[in-house]
Amino acid sequence: MSEYLLETRDLAKSYDGGRIQALRGVDLQVASGEFVAIRGPSGSGKSTLLHLLGGLDTPSRGEVFYRGRSLSQHPSLNAYRSRCVGFVFQAFHLLPALTALQNVQVPMCGGNRTRRQRLEKAETLLREVGLEERFQQYPNELSAGERQRVAIARSLANEPEILLADEPTGNLDTDSAATILDLLGGLHSGRSMTLLVVTHDPEVAARAQRQVNFRNGSICA
Amino acid sequence: MFLLQMGFANMLRRPFRAALTACGVALGIGAFVALVGFADAFEEQWRQFYRTKGTDMCVFRGSFMNKASTDESAGAKLRGIPVVADAAPVSFDLVDFTPDVSAVVQGWVDTSFEFESLTLVQGRRFQGDEPAVLLGEILAGSLGKKAGDWVEVQGAPMLIAGVFRAPDTFSASSAVLPLHQLQRLSDLGAKVAGFHVRLRPSSPGVSPEDRLRRAKLAIESQLPGLKAMPAGVVAGDNHIVNFIRSTAWATSLIALFIAVLGVANTMAMSVFERTREIGILRALGWSGPRIVRLILLEASVLGFAGGLLGLAAGRFGLWALASIRATAGLPRVYPSMVHFGEAMCIALAISLAAGFLPAYRGAMFPPTTALRYE
Repeated sequence: MSEYLLETRDLAKSYDGGRIQALRGVDLQVASGEFVAIRGPSGSGKSTLLHLLGGLDTPSRGEVFYRGRSLSQHPSLNAYRSRCVGFVFQAFHLLPALTALQNVQVPMCGGNRTRRQRLEKAETLLREVGLEERFQQYPNELSAGERQRVAIARSLANEPEILLADEPTGNLDTDSAATILDLLGGLHSGRSMTLLVVTHDPEVAARAQRQVNFRNGSICA
Repeated sequence: MFLLQMGFANMLRRPFRAALTACGVALGIGAFVALVGFADAFEEQWRQFYRTKGTDMCVFRGSFMNKASTDESAGAKLRGIPVVADAAPVSFDLVDFTPDVSAVVQGWVDTSFEFESLTLVQGRRFQGDEPAVLLGEILAGSLGKKAGDWVEVQGAPMLIAGVFRAPDTFSASSAVLPLHQLQRLSDLGAKVAGFHVRLRPSSPGVSPEDRLRRAKLAIESQLPGLKAMPAGVVAGDNHIVNFIRSTAWATSLIALFIAVLGVANTMAMSVFERTREIGILRALGWSGPRIVRLILLEASVLGFAGGLLGLAAGRFGLWALASIRATAGLPRVYPSMVHFGEAMCIALAISLAAGFLPAYRGAMFPPTTALRYE
């Protein structure tokens, strides 16, 4: 068994027949419970790495390992995305036709929970992120900070070990960003979750245990 | 259940488009209910036409639609066959009573057992070969005539001896003339379209099918060259019924095809607009088949709603047809639950068929491509 929860070996991703090299042979190890900030200029491959770690995309070369097992050999990438990792996006990516409570239930759909259990879980998570008064609001009725809190609640629905966040405070004002940072910090310290956060924000990076800097598709420090 | 909730929520985002699509399905289903229902009712009326007269078999040469195919003299031989209780010679012609009103005129002898199915509401029956006519209630209403009036048939003035009520719409929309008058007016000579035959009751233990089969064999062996067909078969499998049925299906299929295109267009638009959302669902661990199910569920809801609307529209259309004077002579249609079930199954099937390709395309989008989609 690997000592790392997540590991990449010689991970590369290219587009357009190899003309665009988004990642160039990245070796990265993340231990269980670690809080890692991934930094770098735009286009340096941070988000691509996050997508590959989350099983949203397949590498052109190299492999991603989860608990020592290559994702390419994982029996179901859908199950991996559903149960092992949670995603938080800069643009929130909530489903506009659903209420906050329904949005949080989406990842649980098709799982083992009953309707009642799904509902209770979603209510609990929304209370945890401070949205107990906003269950029935639609995304367009929520502020940006509230939307991101719904997105965080949604990412925790199936109690994943890993949270992958792509610029989670990028669209937020200072106060909302601070709230989100506190929430993420709480997840790390309170739940011992493994956090990988792509960010430009030095404040976010400062909260991480480790910073990984990217430039031109490679780790530079 | 949650999928259904999501499906409804997605559709309600574009209520006008969803309503228009459901109306498209309703058009197809309405056409199906009205036309195929009409064809079925037409066949049923034809059966009733024979049933209420107590006709078990039709005997004719070649086709019963030929108004002068059979020698009238065959009637005597026919009545002599032991299984035959009675045989009534019949003929018919299509007659223009006025420039606007045409109707089938049936030629009967005055002793025909077919009179038993009619109820005279005015006047009397004709006697022998007198130049008189009986009008069905619907036809009399269309012509604005009553017993004692005169009407012209093929250029000959005829006394309206009586007006009758009939259990089937065909008869109520027709006229009955003495057979020999019709033969004279239509130049049929001594020919008739055929004979309506009543059979003697069967012996105990003989099934109705066996009774008809035995009678057919007996009649055809005694009268070579003539065909004896059970009345139910003639009613359900003849050129007119088949033509009406195939026309109804063809017209319905065109309407249903248009409905398929409507649903396919809506679902394709819906999937296109929600590409990013589908990417989000994939990122949250939804499998391709589950996304296909979600989109197909939305299509089914549209189909179901359209189907219900179509049933109501079709039913209303049939009611309207039966209520308008110009079409009141058409068979009244009361679609059965089986018919409704068929219509709903078709509505769901066309929605699923129309939604499948957009659903499949949506599910096949790579999540990262879908997430980047603006």
